[in-house]
Amino acid sequence: MQKKQNVLAFVLLLPSIVVLGMFVFYPMLKTFWLSTQLTNLMGEPVKSVGFKNFTNLMHSESFITSITVTMIFVIATTILTVICAYFLAILASRKMRGMGFFRTIFSSTMGISVTVASILWLFMFNPQIGLFSKVLTSLHLPDINWLSDPMWALVAIIGTTVWMNIGFAFLILLGAVQAIPTDLYQVADLNDASKWLRLRKITLPGTEPTLFFVMVVTLINAFQTFGQVDILTAGGPDYHTNLLVYSIYQDAFVNHTIGRASAESVVLTVIIMIVTFIQFYLNKRKAARYAG
Amino acid sequence: MFKHIAKYSILLTVSAGVVMPLAAVQGNAASTPEKITFWHSMTGETQKSIERVVNDFNKSQSEYKVVPEFQGQYVEALPKFLSVGGTKKAPVLFQSNEISTKQLATSGMIEPMETITKKYKYDTSDIRENILDYYRVDGKLYSMPFNSSAPVLYYNKDAFKAAGIDELPKSPTFEQVTDAAKQLKEKTGKAKLSILPYGWNFEELLANQNQELVNNGNGRKKTATKSTFNNEAGKNILNWIKTNADAKTLVDYGTGANAADNELSGFTSKQVDMFMNSSASLGDIKKNAKFNVGVTYMPHPKNKTANGVAIGGASIWLSKGKTNKQQKGAAEFLKFATSPNEQAQWSIDTGYFAINKKSYDTKLLKDAFKKTPILAAPVDQLKDTKKNSASAGALITAMPNERVNTQNAMENVINGKNVDKELAKAAKKTDADIKSANEQTGE
Repeated sequence: MQKKQNVLAFVLLLPSIVVLGMFVFYPMLKTFWLSTQLTNLMGEPVKSVGFKNFTNLMHSESFITSITVTMIFVIATTILTVICAYFLAILASRKMRGMGFFRTIFSSTMGISVTVASILWLFMFNPQIGLFSKVLTSLHLPDINWLSDPMWALVAIIGTTVWMNIGFAFLILLGAVQAIPTDLYQVADLNDASKWLRLRKITLPGTEPTLFFVMVVTLINAFQTFGQVDILTAGGPDYHTNLLVYSIYQDAFVNHTIGRASAESVVLTVIIMIVTFIQFYLNKRKAARYAG
Repeated sequence: MFKHIAKYSILLTVSAGVVMPLAAVQGNAASTPEKITFWHSMTGETQKSIERVVNDFNKSQSEYKVVPEFQGQYVEALPKFLSVGGTKKAPVLFQSNEISTKQLATSGMIEPMETITKKYKYDTSDIRENILDYYRVDGKLYSMPFNSSAPVLYYNKDAFKAAGIDELPKSPTFEQVTDAAKQLKEKTGKAKLSILPYGWNFEELLANQNQELVNNGNGRKKTATKSTFNNEAGKNILNWIKTNADAKTLVDYGTGANAADNELSGFTSKQVDMFMNSSASLGDIKKNAKFNVGVTYMPHPKNKTANGVAIGGASIWLSKGKTNKQQKGAAEFLKFATSPNEQAQWSIDTGYFAINKKSYDTKLLKDAFKKTPILAAPVDQLKDTKKNSASAGALITAMPNERVNTQNAMENVINGKNVDKELAKAAKKTDADIKSANEQTGE
């Protein structure tokens, strides 16, 4: 009986094993293997070099810059997106005339493709005719080279990405805020609770699981950022917006160094793995706290 | 991702439009012509022009049919070719830009052009020698130049006049350009010069000072092992940028994928009055600039004579392992595409050079030069270019890396960093990149 069930289970699992094996596990293992190889221009392995690709990366100034800016970018984008979207969601959850209009506006960035959005922002960042430079000039502030100054370029990319991510985060959070039973707020009203107290004691706890979900999704999205970088800065100036995924693309398809690109991919995998473990740990601890 | 989907859907529609009428013709023909697949990277107006060349050829004979396929920008098309090279899926002809010359020549997926020029009596003596030289590896012609260009300096003559500045001479110096930029700034209160932080500009400004980019005869005598730009010539370039950045006469378009397009539209919309770009932009500028445009040679430092510049643009490669008939078809098509009249028309349409010397005797081109004299400046610059290893252009596999390194140095100098340090850093990084690329190719 048990044996029969095992066979059945295996048969049922087979399609997904085959698909996952072909499109996930095989490429993954191959990437691990390629990361220890010296590859020629066609991406074929020439000889095994052990961990030399990795040690080269660790000694490469540009890669260290890449990692640093990726971390700054991911953390800043996630925090800013969640805060902005949460703020908008609370605003838009009030029952007022015309709120539907604002809800549509706030979530509209979801429907815009990365390319279109990036090109829009590219116009706004233009050093001469861009919106930002016009505003700064009219306020008699010094001009900022938005896309060619190492610090401001990163700020520009973060801003663009936050704007793009807000739509999705807003929509999900709005749902969560609206799902909180209204009688809780009525009780709070009876007790003359301040707005801050209501936020802290009712809204935040009520939306915590959703908040966590939005954070995870935004974080993963941030790690995968590519289009904005390609269109706005192409990784420049001096690698200061060269996010890891973009760096991998450059090394694999522009510089034709598949070995190095594979090693970078492995590093990215490890980083995401660590971040995921931390998130799971926090989530578990929280669950335990609620249970207790 | 979306970018690619958009590209592919455009590609699909375009190719459907191209293929369908051809398919109808093919159905009527008694014998099917030999298909010659041709991958190219031309977009916009230039794509229309290249398709016109192909259609003209297809109509001119019935033995072969060239099928043009757009495969994305040069950067995107090259990995595609490298992944199918040597297999049946590889196109017969493949267009690729100048900096991939070394990569393709050593890839083992290429049949040197010299094979078919010899076999099918394809006389290349009418094609400009200094253009052919760029595509010779170890003295052998590896690919056929087709769309060749060189950088020039464009400026807005009307803006100069309005500011009371003399027109730039035919071959200006760095100092003259800076001077004009300062005067423009004084008159308009705005920065009006753009020196795009782009590796190609650095290479060309270096060549113009008769300085090689890498050792061993710019990598042409034997494989280059080191960069050679950390010296006075390299410093001249960065100091020129620094002078203008300090004087706030410089507009910085940054290093994004659209930086060059922004710079170009900045010029045609009168935001910048001086910039350097490929002569291939002439077509665009002619069409969009509503003012008098001046075109000069690339600038050079006062204390050095202008050496001339290296050829840019792209050439057409022949895949290895194609049948005799396909090779013959390829040769016939290239003969046609590089013929005097075709090159003349191509040059007028796009701003690329006519690579055939006899094109300049055609009525077509003579009339065009009379009508638009600025077309002549890039050609004159090429004629005045001294023949040496610096103007032959560097031949290294690590060219994309070198461009990023010098580009970063340029950008950092604009942002106020030290010239000597940035140049040394770029040179050191390029040395390391050359070394690892040589390891990759086993040289």
